[in-house]
Amino acid sequence: MEIDYRLERPLKLHARLQVQGLTVLLGESGSGKTSLLRALAGLLRARGRPFADLAPERRRVGYLPQGYALVPHMTALENVALPLHGPSGRRTAGRWLERVELKHLAERRPHELSGGERQRVALARALALEPRLLLLDEPTSALDAATRETAVELIERIVREEGLPTLLVTHDPYVAARSRSLAVLEAGRVRQQGPPDEVFSRPATLGIARLVGFANVFSGKVAGREEGGVWIETQGLRVFAPTAAPPKAGSRVHWGIRPEEVMIVRPDRPLSAPLARNRLEVRVRRLIKKGLVYVVRVAGALELEVALPRHVQDRLRLAEGDLIEVALKPAYVHLFSSGDASS
Amino acid sequence: MTEAFLLSFKLASLTALTLLVLGIPLAYALVFKRVPARALVEAVLLMPLTLPPTVLGYYLLVLLAPDGALGRLGFDWAFRFEGIWLASVLFSLPFALTAYREAFQAVEPEVLEVTRTLGLGPFKRWVRVVLPWIWPGLLSGTLLAFAHTLGEFGVVLMVGGNLPGETRVASIYIFDLVQALEFEEAARAALIFVALSFVLVLAVRTLEVRWRSITGSNAR
Repeated sequence: MEIDYRLERPLKLHARLQVQGLTVLLGESGSGKTSLLRALAGLLRARGRPFADLAPERRRVGYLPQGYALVPHMTALENVALPLHGPSGRRTAGRWLERVELKHLAERRPHELSGGERQRVALARALALEPRLLLLDEPTSALDAATRETAVELIERIVREEGLPTLLVTHDPYVAARSRSLAVLEAGRVRQQGPPDEVFSRPATLGIARLVGFANVFSGKVAGREEGGVWIETQGLRVFAPTAAPPKAGSRVHWGIRPEEVMIVRPDRPLSAPLARNRLEVRVRRLIKKGLVYVVRVAGALELEVALPRHVQDRLRLAEGDLIEVALKPAYVHLFSSGDASS
Repeated sequence: MTEAFLLSFKLASLTALTLLVLGIPLAYALVFKRVPARALVEAVLLMPLTLPPTVLGYYLLVLLAPDGALGRLGFDWAFRFEGIWLASVLFSLPFALTAYREAFQAVEPEVLEVTRTLGLGPFKRWVRVVLPWIWPGLLSGTLLAFAHTLGEFGVVLMVGGNLPGETRVASIYIFDLVQALEFEEAARAALIFVALSFVLVLAVRTLEVRWRSITGSNAR
């Protein structure tokens, strides 16, 4: 489904994107993600395609707001049956509750359900509408880590089985990584859309890079070209970055590398030639444990953040103050287009 | 005594019913609609809470007298049942309105929005979603207005005087009895009031508890 929507209020927004299967819309808070969903549901005035001139009652767009918006005095079954009619409606509602694995809680009221269960009731209710488009606003923000995983799995499975165009808004990279298509909202428009791998590894702008976890972003000057890429000079260090469209020598560019893709050179294992070119000596400044990874801040010619899986750290036994060598493998060095980088 | 209590019931029932009809759209508008000069409107509507009953009664008496501003328009309701009915409605309005407004405030706008996207038109939204959600609040507000009218004294005396069968309600009847030193009869009437008040307040409290058990913990 192709969406092209323009909003004037509460903020100026022009969103063009493709919704195919589970499509995730990523954006900073305040970027207008929720407003776009509300406009698509017909609850905010907007111009565009599809259904912009239809009242919300006639759009058949399933909308799950963050608080799920269940009717508190109705049981789970009655909530799901809201868009349905007659006695056959209750049977259909029962089948939808079964689909979200909540048949046994059909007679409970919302306040007798957990957050994850409420969300599934709301999902079943939106599905009972047999929507043409499903909209989910931050479905994982109120859930704990374990519930989050099952919730995302369930949403993904049902959307796939129903072949339902679904737009899910989030700022959670974990959810974004599970999508079929990832769109990023920035400065009032969709700046990039593609498979999540592509967006995560090749963000189009600096802002998107930060949003998807590029902690290491630097500015530098193009110092020279070579087959397949350019040399960039940053704070006295020359780094090789691959690119198909090399910028002019002397122009300012931004480049970056994800913390997960900075490699630590082990002194006992010499590196092969392509890796050998982007190397620098750094000192370990800080070691922070974050779940199963260590975030290591190092400083030398550049200040870098390096993410280290626990099993690697268990072998290397790095300590604050150690002098080590890191390599920025050219394949992982990402050059941001200079026009976007200024934003 | 029966006559006075029957009159009290008639007055309280009519007042409560009037407030139900008047208060629901008013409360709805105050919660969900843009009301110009909202603070001013609310202040005027809630003023009877702080105004001495005699002051409210005085103005009504002046307005409703045969040569008063309203009396000249055909509403010469001073010392008549219609007069104490109007006075009771104005005097109990703040109580009913506050309860109704609270009931409407519990209705989450987001839920109403989502039921729109589910294809429910305005009528179905009211009957299936809003009314079952707010009825305990509406009923408790109406009972409060009823109880408050039963116990009213100053306004009724100012506007209606003390005419048996027309304006002499139970609370005034008790005052009369005490004036005439008929304490035995006064004690019986007073006891009925105690029992009535207890039952009404208990009913209001029960409704409130029920109401919260339905709506209270739907918060995120």
